[in-house]
Amino acid sequence: MEPTRNSHATLVDLLDRILDKGVIIYADLIVSVAGIPLIGVNLRAALAGMETMLQYGVMQDWDARTRAWEREHRKEKELSVTSGEEVILEMLGSYHYSEGIYTAWRMGRIYLTDRRLILYHSSFQEVIFETPLEKIKGLAIETEEYFTERKERENLCLLLEAGNIARLHAVDTHKLREAMDQEMARLGVAWQEMPTLPMRDERAASFLDDGEEIACRGKMWYLVALPAPGGLISETWRSGHLYLTNKRLCWWYDFERRIVFEIPLEWIAASTVETRSLGPALGNRRVLDVIYQNDPGKQVASFSGDELWQWDKALNRIVSQPVLVSAGEIDTCPQCGQGAPVTELLEKGCAGCGWVSPRLKKEIPQAASSS
Amino acid sequence: MSERTEVQTALKREARYLYCVADTGESVSLGEIGIEGSEVYTIPYRDICAVVHNCPAEPYKSSDDEVVKAWVLTHQAVIDVAWEKWGTVLPLGFDTIITAREGSDEEQNTRNWLMEEYESLKKRIEKVRGKAEYGVQVFWDPKALAQNLTETSPELKQLEEEIGSKPKGLAYMYRQKLENLLKKEMELKADECFKDFYARIKKHVDDIRVEKTKKTDQGSQMIMNLSCLVYIDKYRELGEELDEINKMDGFSVRFTGPWPPYSFVSA
Repeated sequence: MEPTRNSHATLVDLLDRILDKGVIIYADLIVSVAGIPLIGVNLRAALAGMETMLQYGVMQDWDARTRAWEREHRKEKELSVTSGEEVILEMLGSYHYSEGIYTAWRMGRIYLTDRRLILYHSSFQEVIFETPLEKIKGLAIETEEYFTERKERENLCLLLEAGNIARLHAVDTHKLREAMDQEMARLGVAWQEMPTLPMRDERAASFLDDGEEIACRGKMWYLVALPAPGGLISETWRSGHLYLTNKRLCWWYDFERRIVFEIPLEWIAASTVETRSLGPALGNRRVLDVIYQNDPGKQVASFSGDELWQWDKALNRIVSQPVLVSAGEIDTCPQCGQGAPVTELLEKGCAGCGWVSPRLKKEIPQAASSS
Repeated sequence: MSERTEVQTALKREARYLYCVADTGESVSLGEIGIEGSEVYTIPYRDICAVVHNCPAEPYKSSDDEVVKAWVLTHQAVIDVAWEKWGTVLPLGFDTIITAREGSDEEQNTRNWLMEEYESLKKRIEKVRGKAEYGVQVFWDPKALAQNLTETSPELKQLEEEIGSKPKGLAYMYRQKLENLLKKEMELKADECFKDFYARIKKHVDDIRVEKTKKTDQGSQMIMNLSCLVYIDKYRELGEELDEINKMDGFSVRFTGPWPPYSFVSA
């Protein structure tokens, strides 16, 4: 079921919100609104379905009761801890909940007590995640690209019994970790650091072959061609994740939770980056076009996301590698091993890692002082 | 003060009409997209801003529905522009106008408000970041349900059968009894549905407000009216859940949005 926001069909819904809700400013700052409610009354009365169920007799009491039940039910209560249990730290956080195909970060308040670590949703009065401290075998902090923010964020990974991993995010992940370290020390429990986390990317874990390794990954829009009525093809941007592995380039479609585009590395012919309009919702963005060769001829796959120049660079390295090796004047940078023309390496240094030859190093300060 | 100067004072654009608070410290104009073609711009404080236009210090009011409708839709359209541009907004209701008070002008008052409420506004911005509001209304067909209940409840069924065999006066009393019982059963059923749907919807949303149900003009009855705060990339899962409810016999669902988070920003 898709939501609608057609301005005609949902005017009532808009009025409900716009006339009764929103941020409230204290009265002494704003123009007196005496009589203002009238503004909506005419219009609301004119629209069908606006009366409350007052006349409805049968359901009126029920409606009031139901809302009272819900209010009671969702009243924001603090987490109650058992007597003698002490809350050490409390902060906003979320827990990565995954069961079957349903995965989500669920928000709540993290409570670290002297016995447990708890994530509690106060509106729903629901314990989302809970573990006794002594059941935590190890912990580590990982970084991941976060969906709705552009930046990376840090998650706290807990190694629990039976090899289970729980993933938490807190407003201040490091502070939480420190507090947990202290608590564990107090309890006299030593935990193992987790130097290598098991595959943190559950998406990738589901499609990677044996021996396949990820070189690049990132959240990426992909231009999907869909059959439209009348035999036409309509193109729309869909959100997902692009992966470059040592075997293939593939795109994971978030909504369907599977790989819907993949090509072997050998097919990649070229890539370019340019700014294009992605439609009214997304606006102008940089787009990475990957040109690849398969049986019917050349084709293009378009992606949009962050750090496209890095993807472009990575793809171009794949494309140019065989050429580079065959050309005589190519050598590898002594620092990072990337291929580049010898003359460029000697005269300019390495474009990849910034390495410059000792001779060049000597010349640079001279040039700087003489100018 | 003469009438003339009063009029002039009122017409001077010495107040600020507020559309929303946005997640940016930019000072920028959005162009003449506001109510009655006013120029909409931002008044920043630190990393947030108020999206406003200059207006006379009196509320917009009209008895003409079409005029009001146009204003309301424009109010929403401006918020939509800011929402798309800056990602997170706290919408204000229609006709919120900040004016000059006690030696402090309207511009300063707006900034003061942002300053005094800064922590609280930031908190609300974090609460709604990456999320949108969706309206969910569940309806049922009371006739079909009453029919169904009468058929499935042995007590009701027996009563109905007995009515036919009773003399007129007694039949009337029996009918009263039947209606009372049916009403009770309906409410029980509605209770059960509400709790069931609530629990199912809750899984896919970050927060819920339960609104008053409303009378509908057709035969259906609204038994649930929710505002849901949903992660932008999760609304489809909510839609799938609603499909399941919509498929149930005698039930239908209305799903609206995405709305700016009107129901989740009032402190």
